[in-house]
Amino acid sequence: MSDYLVNLGANPRARKLIRTVGLPLPLPQKLRRERAPWKERPLDGLPVAVGQLEQAELTAVLARSLAAAGAQPHVLGDEAQLAPYLEQGAAFGRRPESMGDEDCPKRPRALIFDATGIGGPEQLHAVYRFFHLRLRGLDRCGRVLVLGRPPELAVDPVQAAAARGLEGFARSVAKEVGRRGCTAQMVYVAPGAEDRLEPLLRFLLSPRSAFISGQALRLSADVAAEGSPAPQRALDGQVALVTGAAQGIGAATARALAREGARVIVADLPAAAERASVLAEEIRGALLLTDIAAAAAPASLEALLEERFDGQLDIVVHNAGITRDKMLFNMAPERWDQVLGVNLLAVLRLHAALEPRLGAGARVVCLSSISGLAGNTGQSNYTASKAGIIGFVQAAAAQLAERGVAVNVVAPGFVETRMTARMPVGTREAARRLSSLSQGGLPEDIAEAITFLCSPGAAGLSGQVLRVCGGSFIGA
Amino acid sequence: MRWEDRPRAVIVGGARTPFIRAFGALTRVDTIGLGVAAVRGLLERTAIPWRELDSLVWGGVVLPSASANIGREIALDLGLPATVEASTVSRACTSSLYAITQAAALIERGEADVVIAGGSDSTSNAEVKMPQSLVHKVAPVVMNRRSGPMDYLRMMAKLHPRKDLLPQQPAVRERSTGELMGESAEKMARRNHISREAQDRFALQSHKRASAAVAAGRFADEIVPIDTPEGRRVHADNLVRGDSSLEKMAKLRPAFAKDGTLTAANSSALTDGGAAVLLMSEEKARALGLEPLAAFRSWSYDAVDPSDQLLIGPAISMPRALQRAGMALKDADIVDIHEAFAAQVLCVLAMLENDGFAQERVGLERAVGSLDPEEINVCGGSIALGHPFAATGARMVTTMANELKLADKQTALLGVCAAGGLSGAVVLERVG
Repeated sequence: MSDYLVNLGANPRARKLIRTVGLPLPLPQKLRRERAPWKERPLDGLPVAVGQLEQAELTAVLARSLAAAGAQPHVLGDEAQLAPYLEQGAAFGRRPESMGDEDCPKRPRALIFDATGIGGPEQLHAVYRFFHLRLRGLDRCGRVLVLGRPPELAVDPVQAAAARGLEGFARSVAKEVGRRGCTAQMVYVAPGAEDRLEPLLRFLLSPRSAFISGQALRLSADVAAEGSPAPQRALDGQVALVTGAAQGIGAATARALAREGARVIVADLPAAAERASVLAEEIRGALLLTDIAAAAAPASLEALLEERFDGQLDIVVHNAGITRDKMLFNMAPERWDQVLGVNLLAVLRLHAALEPRLGAGARVVCLSSISGLAGNTGQSNYTASKAGIIGFVQAAAAQLAERGVAVNVVAPGFVETRMTARMPVGTREAARRLSSLSQGGLPEDIAEAITFLCSPGAAGLSGQVLRVCGGSFIGA
Repeated sequence: MRWEDRPRAVIVGGARTPFIRAFGALTRVDTIGLGVAAVRGLLERTAIPWRELDSLVWGGVVLPSASANIGREIALDLGLPATVEASTVSRACTSSLYAITQAAALIERGEADVVIAGGSDSTSNAEVKMPQSLVHKVAPVVMNRRSGPMDYLRMMAKLHPRKDLLPQQPAVRERSTGELMGESAEKMARRNHISREAQDRFALQSHKRASAAVAAGRFADEIVPIDTPEGRRVHADNLVRGDSSLEKMAKLRPAFAKDGTLTAANSSALTDGGAAVLLMSEEKARALGLEPLAAFRSWSYDAVDPSDQLLIGPAISMPRALQRAGMALKDADIVDIHEAFAAQVLCVLAMLENDGFAQERVGLERAVGSLDPEEINVCGGSIALGHPFAATGARMVTTMANELKLADKQTALLGVCAAGGLSGAVVLERVG
């Protein structure tokens, strides 16, 4: 399951030799990842360059977030721009450095541009100039972040054009910087959702978002939430259900949720009893051996919840899924029914049964796939089910927002698992290299994204499709 | 007993040994010996029948491995009644402050009437250890009665000259981060923009004030002489430099980083010494005809992440102690802050007046207020007097309890930072 090109690229001598000889091999950057529990200061001591438009609206929250995360901010502009950073930074012992128009700190871990309040496309030049002058200096596995307001809320079409332009820019930057393991995202912050930016920044700027690139996320205040989320042990006291948890992405997710304090129910088929029970033992979780597509599944889950957790349930990760690929004209009805049954109908049935239990702060994450977004040869059944999930999530999110429940989709790209290890070499190689980062992700990359979406701090995100695909060229 | 009727613990006296630079005149007096000298001196100065003693709570940081509960050893070596129970607390540089407030708690819970508390440390007697890997390789062979010559030979062959046989040098290093404490303080100075000049100026103030206090005989009642095994009698501190100047200090090279601002002059030195305080219930003090000096209005012990700003803790503990005492900063007549490094004291002062820090880290709406560096540490501090880790808290409590009486003041606020990101603060109030 290891990627030989990543391993080769990690060897400086091999890297140099291949460059010198001029072999036409992409040498993907080995990604910086983080597997330890969430930290209080994920960016401790790391330089971060921040630029903004004069009328930018997120300065205060950016200043606080960066200082609290331990980053060393280098701020574009003069005294006036520096003042909020000085005020927030002093309390955390992180006083900002002023950065001239063409300056760049040494190897910044992140470049952030606050383009909220952008008036028209002519102001995009400031965005171009900020990154044009600093992108080369960005550290390996660094982060590019563009912040803006949702275009649909623009006062006029001119402003909307500029606001939407930022997203295209960020997506292109993602493709350009991927070679060095860097990622770029766009975050739209709706008015009123400013105070929900900090947890998202902590996640996106940390190595936990290693395999997320070229995404546009929409932060809103739609989901009711109160209190400020804890930076560590965010899931303490919560009960989480992960279906299909015996291996791969499900197992990694169960581990990550447990690591942040959740009590996890490891659910999988009776056939996977051995792996599932070893995992449940490892993470001190509960074990549920059932076929979630069976009619009795919701009842047996509810019995377990009552017996072990006093009926409490805070997090549901609908991860279980199957593939039965065949060209459509050749596809037997069982193949269609099986895939739709497990991937979509079972999710709907389980959700209907569990939904009344979900209270304020609860989170639901469904797994889709980038082929669910793009369509794929031989997968009409699979993509129908995975695209169906997206429709379900968007409607459910709207329904549950008022109750403080967030519902999201995580759509993985190519992930190094036992399943993909069995793919034909050619297809596998193509799938790996078809992303900005020129490599596949690990189950842990998906798990980190799911865990973040399950945390109280992710209240600003709901009804969204978060692709964890390394900036794959496939899909919209 | 109703809570309101509980006894109040009062301080009736304190004493300390001279504070001597490590590997000086006290080199051959170990931590226990320093403790014995301090307690003996205290009991000579404040004469009470020994049978009245209930407990001894002692602080120690660099503890001897042969006997970690040095409190009990001090009681036994000194010949205190065998019934005086004793414990040892180790909480880095807040050890003796913690020991003293533990003693106050014992009295106020009614568990004891008369308690000696304090602490001592001898950096000169820090143990140079053989690597643990040596123990793990040697012990199984030596402890097995059936081991033969071949087993010993095989064991010898497995020993690595550098990894197993080179003794480990002790250092003031954070176990979790690997940083020398000076490096952590250097980081704090950089983060909070504390200049070399401000540090030197504060260090100079410490020396000038300590030297003036010595000249005026201010510490005469606090310092008790100590006899060394070599037959010498040591009477006075030897670190205070009244003749220092900013020019002299400016010439020193940075001690912890090439382009750093911390030097030997604006940091506290490794020191040998011990200090002890006598506490009892107010009723007992009156019954024994002793004049109570001070009592604790409140205390607060806190902790921060050692990898962030190791020594910033007093900026949290001091406001919390004030809050518990129902006081504002301006209500504290005297403020005394332990000077591990001038930089650390100045960082603490900066955060005491920072609203953001008060909100984010202390949980207060506003900062407690600002203090000019000149307003604090009226008798000098650890930079000038020296800093035997576990004796410093007891030294401060003694000096401030006396200061309340001498200067005719009502309250004193004390703050101490410590390794591990720990801190402590107390509010003393005058009694009598």
